[in-house]
Amino acid sequence: MTEWNSSALVKAATKTGKKTNALTPMTFSLLHATDFADRLLYNIIPPLKAGMIVLADRYAYTAFARDSTRGVDRKWVRELYSFAVQPDLAVYFRVPIEVSTERLLARRVKLKFYEAGMDMGWSNNLVESFTMFQGKVLDEYDRLVDEFGLSVVNATGSITDQQRVFRKLVSQHLEIKDDTESIADDPV
Amino acid sequence: MTPNPSPTTPSEANGGIDGGARIGGYYGNPIPYLPLDVYPGKIIALEGTDGVGRSTQIYLLREWLEVQGYGVVETGWTRSELMQPTIDLAKSSNTLNKLTFQLLYATDFADRLEKEIIPALKAGFIVLSDRYIYTAMARAGVRGLDRTWVRNLYGFAIVPHLVFYLRIDEKTLIRRVLQSRGMDYWESGMDLKLGDDIYESFRAYQRSLLKEYASMADEFNFRVLDARRKVDVIQEELRRQIGAFLAENEAAPVTSL
Repeated sequence: MTEWNSSALVKAATKTGKKTNALTPMTFSLLHATDFADRLLYNIIPPLKAGMIVLADRYAYTAFARDSTRGVDRKWVRELYSFAVQPDLAVYFRVPIEVSTERLLARRVKLKFYEAGMDMGWSNNLVESFTMFQGKVLDEYDRLVDEFGLSVVNATGSITDQQRVFRKLVSQHLEIKDDTESIADDPV
Repeated sequence: MTPNPSPTTPSEANGGIDGGARIGGYYGNPIPYLPLDVYPGKIIALEGTDGVGRSTQIYLLREWLEVQGYGVVETGWTRSELMQPTIDLAKSSNTLNKLTFQLLYATDFADRLEKEIIPALKAGFIVLSDRYIYTAMARAGVRGLDRTWVRNLYGFAIVPHLVFYLRIDEKTLIRRVLQSRGMDYWESGMDLKLGDDIYESFRAYQRSLLKEYASMADEFNFRVLDARRKVDVIQEELRRQIGAFLAENEAAPVTSL
């Protein structure tokens, strides 16, 4: 299990940058790529080599969607992450922006500065900025679905429903892999 | 507040680094939200391995330029406000690998490019850069990172107006470093695990670095200077070339860049 933005290496810089709102779209992008690289080498590749399943809570696609929304060159950020291992299955939980805003507001008091895209200067109102920024991020995700063949789960439904679909996707995927392997191993 | 225009469409550039890119423009994939104009400022970069005498030369150049009435801004490798503490910490804790190393450098460079270099160029300063992206490329090359990847990574760098490469040979370099501050872990490439002997490791590492720099000289139009000569001789040569460049630019209209 590996989470976005959790490596110890870049925590200090990200924290300083976020606290002082000093990050530009480029440094924001590069810091997250550094974090990703660190986790890739320490937390993702070793378990893969050991034959384990790695559950990644967000992957490079988050960067593609978010950084492009911030105005970073789409091609550049894809090339930046070309060192990433191609996931065997990438699932995109899709919700309309209204639903995600509602869910976040119901749960939390305050949206975070960068999460709300306040650095873009699109609106001084946190919720309005969040809606505008994340709305564009969702548009970017939609482009990624085709580009990278992401499996889409409708995330407006109940957690149980989503989990059912998710489990089906995962198990199908694992079965398919196993079948192919056994066919390959078994000369007819 | 009215929203800014939506993010620009992806660049049509081929990406990577284009040796023939316009001076003062981006090398490759640009920063779309920072389109570059022809600015009055200039970037002069001094490249060369550790212990070659870059900082002394920059110090002297700065003095000379300021006396002539130029505004000078210095920028140096890993000196960004955002990244310096992290890079220092990472170096001391030894958890860096070649990939994260490169990405931290690139973050540092991006921070300085946006916050120091571009504003200084706009304001008409001469930016004296103690190392530029070529140092990162040389180190990446020695460590076997994919060349195309590294060149793409630095596509957002601005092509400097002048790049001086202070070239030295391995033997002179070793003596110089030993006479001054001694060999340190990273400068000796100890992370490459070439052996426990720091002297041997330094020698092998610096030799490969010098090879990498040499291979970039044509690609990036380095002006090569022999760094084995005396400080004042090198300084004189730098001043002669920079002086000629500045005079030429002042005589010509800005658009001819």
